[in-house]
Amino acid sequence: MNRASLFVPTAPRDWLLPVLAALLVALTLFMAKLEPLFAAAFPHLDVVVYQRESFLQLTLDHLGLVLVSSLISIGIGGAAGLFVTRATGREFEPMVSSLAAIGQTFPPAAVLAIVVPLAGFGFVPTIVALSLYGLLPVVQNTIAGLGSVPPTTLEAARGTGMSAAQILWRVELPLAMRVIIAGVRVSVIINIGTATIGSTVGAQSLGTPIIAGLVGDNIAYVIQGAVLVGLLAIVSDLLFERLERRFRYGA
Amino acid sequence: MIELQGLTKTYAGKNVVEDISLRVESGEFGVLIGPSGCGKSTTLRMINQLIPLSRGRILLGDEDVSRLKPEQLRRRMGYAIQSIGLFPHWTVAENIAVVPNLLKWPRARVDARIDELMNLFHLEAGEYRDKYPHQLSGGQAQRVGVARALAADPEVLLMDEPFGAVDPLTREVLQNEMLRVHEQTRKTIVFVTHDMDEALKLASKVAILNQGRLVQYDRPIELLVDPADGFVSDFIGKADLGLKLLSRRWVDQYCRPPCLERDSGAGRHSWEVDADGRPLALHGGRLSDDGEARTAVNGEWIATPEMTMKEALSRMVWFRVMVLPVIDQAGKLIGEVTMEGVMGRQP
Repeated sequence: MNRASLFVPTAPRDWLLPVLAALLVALTLFMAKLEPLFAAAFPHLDVVVYQRESFLQLTLDHLGLVLVSSLISIGIGGAAGLFVTRATGREFEPMVSSLAAIGQTFPPAAVLAIVVPLAGFGFVPTIVALSLYGLLPVVQNTIAGLGSVPPTTLEAARGTGMSAAQILWRVELPLAMRVIIAGVRVSVIINIGTATIGSTVGAQSLGTPIIAGLVGDNIAYVIQGAVLVGLLAIVSDLLFERLERRFRYGA
Repeated sequence: MIELQGLTKTYAGKNVVEDISLRVESGEFGVLIGPSGCGKSTTLRMINQLIPLSRGRILLGDEDVSRLKPEQLRRRMGYAIQSIGLFPHWTVAENIAVVPNLLKWPRARVDARIDELMNLFHLEAGEYRDKYPHQLSGGQAQRVGVARALAADPEVLLMDEPFGAVDPLTREVLQNEMLRVHEQTRKTIVFVTHDMDEALKLASKVAILNQGRLVQYDRPIELLVDPADGFVSDFIGKADLGLKLLSRRWVDQYCRPPCLERDSGAGRHSWEVDADGRPLALHGGRLSDDGEARTAVNGEWIATPEMTMKEALSRMVWFRVMVLPVIDQAGKLIGEVTMEGVMGRQP
């Protein structure tokens, strides 16, 4: 038994993930079955379950947006974080950190307003806004994670005769991985929530019923979209927590 | 064999290591020692090119190491530092196997080598092979660190204050083990420390550095009796110089035949032995000149030929006897060391 794992509150959450994941899948597939419930809660509405697209389709579209934008954030952010922690790129660290911070201070809605005239409506401007928005946690945590590898460990690695690439792949990245994944986790969770805004510029997502509900004064649509987004975020968070746990090495 | 010729390191116009020339012969245990900032660690790290040298030459055997790629060179030199240098995400076995794996040894050979080294350091392979560094005690982690440095059977072993982070008791155990391992492997070792007792205990030759310069490079006993200057004698410390000298003397150098005759006159002592020649008791030999006092020999107030005279003296003082029996491995009485003997022999 791993001594350090005693201090990690794992037990109460282990049942939470499968339960919430099952709930997410059930709601995605069978939202229409809840029609009587919504009808009872909102008797003044004519249509109480969003039906223009299936919730399965909306969820997959939503995940698509998050997946593509997160991969871009991880690719660019990881590469930038890696570059500024190498000897050749060290002097760029303040610049890269501030650029990533600026990316996050821009409200995604403002980014959409700038990108839509340039790239048109739909998928692309949403991806640009989400990628920029998700960059900061990845960059910050890549820098922090690689910076947290003890200098003596690095010296020992050099002393054994590993090349710079071997030290990076075999020692630095595995030891930094927990912190890097924590950054990706934050980035993905932020993007799951923010992706709903893409629906204002025509990218289909779980934001679509929310926008439709707000425009058409249909609170049931808003709740259906919001509950699925919320569940998606919590389930993803728990999945990342499990992933992080695999990279905990005692200490 | 490793030889430094005019080794110099300049940082910002200042020489932190200046013109150091010395030679550690094959199988020798060389120790670099000096106050902090004297350049001893810098010197060590220049040997495996963790720090580039400014001037001078380093020879490994008859090869100039500057002709070798740093990675290749380091795989031929074991490098051990304080225990935190273990890779925390790898097991004990994986840590030991680093260099053999870099050298692409076949799996079976690596496994056999891991077992051999764990055995050498008395680490139970079944119990510790798959443990992670944070599950080890400081002393165990340090053993793994030295085992890792020895894994690929390097020509030279470089050690940078490897026992600096462990408690004094463990340090003493580790030093004894290091002596044993050196005895068994006959590796050429360059060892950095700031602890004079450690240096005197381990070294076959000690290099004393001060402000980047080599002040004296000699066998420990010569440092003690013939220090090059005031710095050396101050650094060695005068307070227990006599004891330090005795720590470099061994019982077999002072041992003389035992006196077995009972009635050899007043003020004398004699041994009572059993049928197998094992000492049972000492008659006389106490401070009070009483030739009749009988002191039973027990497992603790004995000496062995390979014990240091410092320890033998310590036992005489502790058990308040003027003489200790020297026994061989079978427990047989082969001689005695006496208080007069300690005083009588010139260094």
